[in-house]
Amino acid sequence: MYMYFEATALLYALTVVTLVIFFIGVYSHIYLWRKGKASSLHHKLLSGPIIQAFILDVLLQVQLLKQSLVRWVMHFCIFWGFLGLLAHTTLLAIMSHFVPRDSSLAQFIFLGSGKYFLDVWGDLWGLTLLMGIVIAVLRRYVVKAEQLDTILSDTTALLFLFLIVLTGFFSEAQRLASFPYEPSMGYSFVGNPLASLLRPIPALLFDYLTVVWVHTLISLIFIGYIPFSKMWHVFVSPVEIALDASEKIKFGETYGG
Amino acid sequence: MEDNLNQVNDPTPQEIQKDDKAVPVISVDNLSMRQLMELDACTRCGECSRWCPAYEQDKKEGITPRGRAQAFKDIVKAQHGLWAKLLGRPRVTKEQIEQFVSELYECSTCRQCYEVCPVKIDTVELWERIRRSIVDAGCGPLEQQKLLIQSVKSYDNPWAQPRSSRTRWAKGAKRQKKIAEEPKDITRQKAEVLYFVGCTGSYDVNVEPVAINTVKIFDAAGVDFGILGVKEKCCGSVLLRMGDREYERIAQENIVQFNDLGIKTMVTSCAGCFKTIKEDYPKTGKLNFKVLHTVEFIIELIQAGKLNLKNEVKLKVTYHDPCHLGRHSGVYDAPRKLLTMIPGIELVEMERNRENSRCCGAGGGLKSGYPDIQNKISQTRIKEAEATGATELVSACPFCYQGLQVGIQALESKLTMRDITDLVCMAIEDKKS
Repeated sequence: MYMYFEATALLYALTVVTLVIFFIGVYSHIYLWRKGKASSLHHKLLSGPIIQAFILDVLLQVQLLKQSLVRWVMHFCIFWGFLGLLAHTTLLAIMSHFVPRDSSLAQFIFLGSGKYFLDVWGDLWGLTLLMGIVIAVLRRYVVKAEQLDTILSDTTALLFLFLIVLTGFFSEAQRLASFPYEPSMGYSFVGNPLASLLRPIPALLFDYLTVVWVHTLISLIFIGYIPFSKMWHVFVSPVEIALDASEKIKFGETYGG
Repeated sequence: MEDNLNQVNDPTPQEIQKDDKAVPVISVDNLSMRQLMELDACTRCGECSRWCPAYEQDKKEGITPRGRAQAFKDIVKAQHGLWAKLLGRPRVTKEQIEQFVSELYECSTCRQCYEVCPVKIDTVELWERIRRSIVDAGCGPLEQQKLLIQSVKSYDNPWAQPRSSRTRWAKGAKRQKKIAEEPKDITRQKAEVLYFVGCTGSYDVNVEPVAINTVKIFDAAGVDFGILGVKEKCCGSVLLRMGDREYERIAQENIVQFNDLGIKTMVTSCAGCFKTIKEDYPKTGKLNFKVLHTVEFIIELIQAGKLNLKNEVKLKVTYHDPCHLGRHSGVYDAPRKLLTMIPGIELVEMERNRENSRCCGAGGGLKSGYPDIQNKISQTRIKEAEATGATELVSACPFCYQGLQVGIQALESKLTMRDITDLVCMAIEDKKS
């Protein structure tokens, strides 16, 4: 009863175009960076501080937690929500392209209890991402936190993320609503209630593949847009955090303590 | 030097400059790859704006580190970016650059933005490098700041004072019997310790007690020390902070001079000199001695039993962390430790202290470029000090001493501004009967 979105030649073509745009964007940054002639590092890179900073400040974002619980929850949710969904999509893509359908792993993922795990996984991180986006929108547009200065790229990034998560849940709900309810649908703890809302209203039932295509196109546009947007910091900021941790001058508090 | 300057402005920007009809081209040569990457690493979270002392007084987005990074990114992308090369450069106006420059210099380089930046962008080094590009392009510093720069180049000090007056404080102190002898000239008589007095302590009569107190303390502890006297030159901090390339020449000359002295330790009173010599000079050349701030050295003397803090000093004090001693050099505990070593001192902290200590606004050329803003920043800090109930505001930097005095005078505050050496002297001097 489960339908999965099969990759088509058009999807491959669009993905290639997206990646080309993405890497052109990345190159445009590197092109400018390479014009810097001064030395980037004053010291030898130290792996210990880099690993520590990567865990604490990139993965756990402890530095944000120290500043504001709300901001930490917001950023943590967006960061991990997006990564969780990316992992979900990546796993499905790998399974579809590289793992034979009759293998035991594919059977487990697509037909066995693995699919329930994926249902929970997708909804959990989708909801996490949505929660982060909602907090971000409230801070920026409703509460209007004083420290924020909103420019177009801030709004665009949030809009993209919101559309991705919204169309993601909507496509899942459409898929589930195409079938009569069964208890195993409960693993999709967000998609299933949404499907229950859609089933009685035929006008809201669309062709599942059309909805998935909309979701896919928005996601692809977003990926291509990343290097041109504020989301580029996702790649660059961790590098700066790591370099700073290594470079930090060993301050000479000689007689303190 | 002139040749070097020409080499830095490579021909490509100059060609562009011709096309742009007097719109200056800001070179990115002075920046590193990492610094250009840092412009992209800013997440625009705005935490820097919450803490920026200049923005606290002048609510312009352009002076926040976030706004400054964005404005500079827009300019360099338009002048040097890939799309500018492929599709033609979008227009950067002269006014846009002028506005950026004025906002770039509305900053005391206090490094608070680095402390709170979740991405840990090394903001101050970034601003200093950008300022250098601005100076290379002939767009900076601000007119008022040029006087300081010119003075350093002409007189080896930012206060437009003749070189021969650099030891006036010592001569005056001896004449007034505040010190037994003038410190020896270390270029004539060798000593283990060089006391680097600094320009502010040497020339500003209001601040010269810092130098006099230091000499008294060293004499009391029997320290074998000397000064450079009239041969002492500005450390170059002013030039470095404002982006002037001449800093390298001064740093190199000073490094050679210091290394030739054969000293073991250099002690500085000024947090700005301390930061520049200890943290910045090693990027230009190797030092063959250790650099200590006075507070660190005095603790060493006390711990070695050479200095006896025998008198009770019954004062309630609050300590102001100089940015260049604290955030820039990581020395937070030593001054507090020294204060608590003095019998009778009651130390109370201000709301913002240590890593988050409010700047006095005097550094980075802000005081000369934007005296009104510096005045307001200083007043804010003074109000914070008053709120502690302390009677004395103590710091460990002649430049902060000057900067905080501005606020004390503006508010007609009852607070007494003191350098930490003043309190040490009170604790060691024989009481007059």
